[in-house]
Amino acid sequence: MRSSIWRRLVALVRRRRLERDLDEEIAFHLAMRESDLRDGGLSDTSARAAARRRFGNVTYLKEQTRDMWLFPSFESVRQDVRFAIRTLRKSPGFALVAVVALAIGIGGNTAIFSLVDAVRARALPYAEPERLVELWGNVQRARIERRGTSYPDYADWRAQAKSFDDMAAFSDITATLFTTQEPERITAELVSAGYFSILGVNPARGRTIRVDEDVVGRPANVIVMSDGLWKRRFGSDPNIIGKQVTLNTRSCTVIGVMPPGFKGLTDSAELWAPFAFMGSAEAMAERGSRSFAAVARLKRGVTLAAAQADMDAIARRLEAAYPQTNEKRGVEISPLDVELVGPLRPALLVLMAAVAFVLLIACANVANLVITRSEARRREMAVRTALGAGRRRLLRQLLTESCVLTALGAAGGLGLARAAVPALVASAPVPFPSFYAPTLDLRVAAFTIAVSLACGILVGLAPGLQTRAVDLSESLKDAARGSGGRRSQRVRASLVVAEVSLAVILLIGAGLMIRSVRNLLALNPGFNPSSVLTLRVNIPRMSAPAAAGAPGAPAGSSATPASPPPLVVQARSLVERVRALPGVVGATLSTDLPLDGSGSAVFYTAEGQPAVNAQNIPRAYLHRVSPDFFATLGIPVTSGRTFTENELTPASTAVVVGDEVVKRFWPGQDPIGKRVKFGAVSSTNPWLSIVGVVGDVKYRGLPENPTKDPDIYLPFVDRVQGVAIAVRTAGAPASAAGAVRAAIRAADPSITVFWVRSMDELVGVFTSRSRFIMWLMGVFAAVALALAAIGIYGVMSYLVAQRTREIGVRLALGADGGDILRLVVGNGARLIGVGIVIGVAGAFALARLLSALLFGVSALDLAAAAAVAVLAAVALAACYVPALRATRVSPIQALRYE
Amino acid sequence: MGEARKTPGDFLPGTLDMLILKSVSRGEMHGYAIAHFIQQASRDVLRVEEGALYPALHRLEVRGLLAATWGTSDNNRRAKYYRLTTAGRRELEEEASYWRRVAAAVSRVMQTT
Repeated sequence: MRSSIWRRLVALVRRRRLERDLDEEIAFHLAMRESDLRDGGLSDTSARAAARRRFGNVTYLKEQTRDMWLFPSFESVRQDVRFAIRTLRKSPGFALVAVVALAIGIGGNTAIFSLVDAVRARALPYAEPERLVELWGNVQRARIERRGTSYPDYADWRAQAKSFDDMAAFSDITATLFTTQEPERITAELVSAGYFSILGVNPARGRTIRVDEDVVGRPANVIVMSDGLWKRRFGSDPNIIGKQVTLNTRSCTVIGVMPPGFKGLTDSAELWAPFAFMGSAEAMAERGSRSFAAVARLKRGVTLAAAQADMDAIARRLEAAYPQTNEKRGVEISPLDVELVGPLRPALLVLMAAVAFVLLIACANVANLVITRSEARRREMAVRTALGAGRRRLLRQLLTESCVLTALGAAGGLGLARAAVPALVASAPVPFPSFYAPTLDLRVAAFTIAVSLACGILVGLAPGLQTRAVDLSESLKDAARGSGGRRSQRVRASLVVAEVSLAVILLIGAGLMIRSVRNLLALNPGFNPSSVLTLRVNIPRMSAPAAAGAPGAPAGSSATPASPPPLVVQARSLVERVRALPGVVGATLSTDLPLDGSGSAVFYTAEGQPAVNAQNIPRAYLHRVSPDFFATLGIPVTSGRTFTENELTPASTAVVVGDEVVKRFWPGQDPIGKRVKFGAVSSTNPWLSIVGVVGDVKYRGLPENPTKDPDIYLPFVDRVQGVAIAVRTAGAPASAAGAVRAAIRAADPSITVFWVRSMDELVGVFTSRSRFIMWLMGVFAAVALALAAIGIYGVMSYLVAQRTREIGVRLALGADGGDILRLVVGNGARLIGVGIVIGVAGAFALARLLSALLFGVSALDLAAAAAVAVLAAVALAACYVPALRATRVSPIQALRYE
Repeated sequence: MGEARKTPGDFLPGTLDMLILKSVSRGEMHGYAIAHFIQQASRDVLRVEEGALYPALHRLEVRGLLAATWGTSDNNRRAKYYRLTTAGRRELEEEASYWRRVAAAVSRVMQTT
């Protein structure tokens, strides 16, 4: 019988052809009979009539024949759908409201689902991304803290680990690229030879770095560039391979161009160079100098846990062999997708839950509408039952109607999502990875279809539950009077309760997010970020070749002199120029700035303190700053003083420390004059005297620094690598950016300026996720509130209409308007109250989901109370309007109402 | 095979299908010719309500007992020709033997005095 199904399917697709064939076949038969009859002596007209007579009812027989080709159940579904569309068209207002509500719900779900779907591991633009992991060093201190690794550690990992196909070190740097145009600061990655093959990305042109080109101490001067850089700086030069470019002071040969979209694991790299560019052989042999991570591909079938056990054993061996540097040092393996998109997940899951609630509210609303309609159609249903329609058939009819509604809603929702998804991604302050491309693909479409089917069933079942109890004679009598049964009132009441409780949950969620973001924004980061422009400059030791110079003339090709040539401009004179600009209140120099993502930590020793071990060895982040640094950034000097101008030398022994250092070593004492040194107490580093103490700064993260290690400040001395300038401006920081750039370029055009950002922007990065969620939660909560209000209004209006007679009687018996108002509003208030109680309980239960995203608020927050108050107010208002209408009922009319 | 057999006209249940299969077993035929053949072969005893033939033909086609192709008739018109498939031939044999048994049984009953 399988083939008969197949033939039917074919017929289904070729419906029109089947129809035509049948017409022709029957026409042929009639013509044959006709001509036979004519041959028998009949006239044309009587032959035609006789032929038809002998054939029978042509239309009916055609229908019968056609039916042979159809799936009987399918055909009745078609009838149901047709009927549903016809009935919906008869009440366009109802259909419109229902479809719009469903479109909002389904569209929102589709949009958020496509965002969620895009952060799964498969979305990473690498081959078999689920086998890719990052490896980090870690150290056990008060708690386990993540660290980078060192080259010797990495080399041992790679040599000894058995769990991986291959492992590669990578580290991001910024470097100055000299070509024929003006020099440019670009982000690059230093990578081991295996990096590209581990990721499974092949160059679009040329080749990648070979193992023999990445030898510590003598790396080959080769680079691979990104497609973007190739297009932007080299005009898509087809002969780029083999050309020379200068990176910092090295003249390098271009050996490859990567395919479009590939930006390395840092998602910002434009250029790749051998990892051995990192430093001299001696520097890279320092086992304790940890700064980078490694990427590896798990062997097929090796689990994360097995790999972790493998690496743990290696770490223990290294600890035994090198106790000096590796005490308490471990290895942390983290799946690549967790590293790249992991932080986005909890936020998106919360949003998914929120938008699902919106959809449920929309469904409840539509179910309510459908019930109201089915009340009005009780008579129709009863008549159809009386005429022999089975209950199953009626139920199916109702389900079909609601499925037609949701299908329309889903179509609208898909359109909505199509528009919303790109807008969401574009307007989100959340830094999505560049390869993050949510699309409305088949998976999303499948999700939408599943969701809307579920909605259709949910919506259709509500009135369906009622038809169960249809008592024929009762409803035929009853329907005339139009009063809903007890059961329907209970169903409606529970829908109102459900709507209210879902809306309460959403409102509380939104309220908590709003509070949380306000807390984040009000947080004192330890400095004053407003009206501060930050930028970085790279000051070379000699001016760049003129723009017209020979291509790739190596800037540093002359033999390295014993002492380096002077910088083209002293950073201090550069900042003088900036300070002289109009609109600039102050400007200062430092090696790095709060929240700019750079900075490194060192171990130090405080004089006269008991011996330490690996777990509590003092560690601090080191910054070199000029004297006005603290004043410019608004960091309070709590005791002592800042640096003086003549302390700005490498030989100076003055040091300023953060409060945390004093709290740890000299609580309650005068810290001025106390001494610290870098490294162990036995090291040959000089002792440094504390001249001042400043407030602790959220230097590396908001709301908290990742570790409690304090900051230590040294006097600024001129250096080559990335000098940071902070400018306090009178007006908006962005408006000063142009003038500052121009002033620096005027000093020397070979100075590269990069990372020009306001301090507020840097702070904004840390609050972006919370702001994004707050914004969307706010939107969802507002939609939920509106939908719930509409739902409550609808139900209350309906109940009032139902009770018009009763109200009329009451009025006639002497009740005044106030009584009636109290009656109706009280009725609604009971439902709303129950909904709020359930909603608050639900919100508490779900608060854990949200807690990872909250800062400084608990579910018991004032925000929750405010949310409940808002909802109660809106809900009561929705009751009030129909109640008011009830008071205007004229008793006479009401009694005559029927 | 569990499909209900509709009985158009005045036939015994299932006999129309069998008669159609039998007619077509003699070679490709169009609907009109089948009706004609049944009438003539039965010496006008079995007069098919001609239209009723078509639901039956199409049902047999859907069930895969008949296959159909479009061809040209003797008088040069496009007509749909039916031919027996292997499954159709098997079905015809089963139906015919069943019919012979039933008919023989019925006539034995009727001849018993």
